[in-house]
Amino acid sequence: MVLEIKKVSKNFGGLSALTDVSFSINKGEIFGLIGPNGAGKTTMFNLVTSIFPTSSGDIIFKGEKINELKPHLITEKGICRTFQNIRLFPQMTTVENVMVGVHSRSSSGVLKSVFRPKSQRQEEEGIKVKSQDLLKFVGLEGYEEVVAENLSYGQQRRLEIARAMASDPELLLLDEPAAGMNETETEDLFQLIKRIQQKGITVLLIEHDMPLVMNLCDRIAVLNFGVKIAEGTPKEIQDNPEVIEAYLGREEDELDA
Amino acid sequence: MLAELINPYYLQVGSFMLINIILGISMYITLSTGQLSLANAGFMGIGAYTSALLTIHFSLPIPVGVVIGAIFAGLLGIVVGLPTLRLKGVFLAIVTLGFGEVIRVIFVNWESLTKGSVGLSGIPHMGRELLKTVKELGFEPKMLGLQNNQFIFMAIFLILLVIVIFVIWFFKRQNDSRIGRAFSAIKLDEQAAESMGINITYYKVLAFAQGALLSGFAGALFAHMLGYISPADFAYHKAIDILIFAVLGGSEVIWGPAFGAFFLTLLPEVLRFISEYRYMIYGVIIVVMMVVRPQGLIDLNVVKWIKRKTTRRGLKNGTGN
Repeated sequence: MVLEIKKVSKNFGGLSALTDVSFSINKGEIFGLIGPNGAGKTTMFNLVTSIFPTSSGDIIFKGEKINELKPHLITEKGICRTFQNIRLFPQMTTVENVMVGVHSRSSSGVLKSVFRPKSQRQEEEGIKVKSQDLLKFVGLEGYEEVVAENLSYGQQRRLEIARAMASDPELLLLDEPAAGMNETETEDLFQLIKRIQQKGITVLLIEHDMPLVMNLCDRIAVLNFGVKIAEGTPKEIQDNPEVIEAYLGREEDELDA
Repeated sequence: MLAELINPYYLQVGSFMLINIILGISMYITLSTGQLSLANAGFMGIGAYTSALLTIHFSLPIPVGVVIGAIFAGLLGIVVGLPTLRLKGVFLAIVTLGFGEVIRVIFVNWESLTKGSVGLSGIPHMGRELLKTVKELGFEPKMLGLQNNQFIFMAIFLILLVIVIFVIWFFKRQNDSRIGRAFSAIKLDEQAAESMGINITYYKVLAFAQGALLSGFAGALFAHMLGYISPADFAYHKAIDILIFAVLGGSEVIWGPAFGAFFLTLLPEVLRFISEYRYMIYGVIIVVMMVVRPQGLIDLNVVKWIKRKTTRRGLKNGTGN
């Protein structure tokens, strides 16, 4: 088991965004987190990456409780994420963005950075090569020196994935990676996430594109109003009456019955 | 021949320019993590008074005093930087401006130590001390055809020039590295930077302390260059001067505030008649810059353009020969 969510709740003042949610993710699987808007999916991401503290419950990564660590330490442990509303470093070039991602896997301090002994130069060279490889991996070869804000929307999403992968995560959190993409781009994304899985990286995915989720995920959890209403394989989820109700609502006559 | 070219007045202006360049860079470093600090004049005062008092009362050599002054300002930078981490933009500016004023008021009121608003005089003078040392070694400025005061001002200028080149080299290298990437990631998106594994507390305090250290360093050099300091040298006006270096020159690249400091120190000297209206002109500069060129005169594109021009010219000369 890579990640265990144990009875996690989050309240913002009087509003409870998540209530006693539990699920766990196995190593190497692609796990989908779905639900209508406002169901608490992104809140769950923010709790796992420690952007907010949990109100109660535990988040356990590889047997270790992580919900009181600072965000940068979570990345060091091996969890990295992308954002729903793209948050690249807009004025940096594509390759620089990915190089920032390698930060937690490199160590040169001020003096080494200024006086540049051999170890620092090798590290810097390694960072550069790794970043270029990752850009190739996500299909952004040849865009290394383009400023990130000048990339197309789909390219920016892929750059975010490359940046997150630069920290060598064991668990990658993707927050609506297909949002705003057309069909070809979504198909490319499908292949990309499959290839990420083949590298042995576990993926936790929030997505609204149902065909993508159903084809890609090994297991899925469904949230509605901050409560987990279902968990299972894509087939089980598609047939679950509660899920259908959450997405489509209930028929009038069913209400009367 | 050499003697006629060396004019102490020009050298003094040049020395002020170099000190101001260090101050401009100190502003740039804190700004490169997105923190707008106006405490640099205060830190400059700390460095100046620390070094001045140590060299007067304990007869420490000037370089030792300068280093201790800079380090003390840097440590104080950590103390101020930690609690103000959460403040953003204009709130940080107000708090740091307040800090600078507190420092000034302490200088004015702690009369037993600082002699109050009269200021400290009799601070060991960099140039004169150096002259004394070289004379003891049997060297006379006359051997170079220089008068004593020409030698003094030239020595100060050259020492400061070497220091400024080192400072620019140091921070340029730091900027082109893992540290520089962390700084600019924090400036562009703090939360995303944190999620990418950057310890923002560490890097923001680092930048703040480096800025403080450098200001303190400039202040200590200033004290030993003039031999006299008073609280008015490090007041609100100085904080605004330093800010304007970065506003006019730009804060995207290290050359921006360096150019701003160079230009704005030169301007009142060239146009003597306007020096009384300096702050009026500064006001106009801020307003015009904010409207026309908010990133400052020197930004990344300008640097790239200059690089292109110079390399192309180099190529042309190469083929021409």
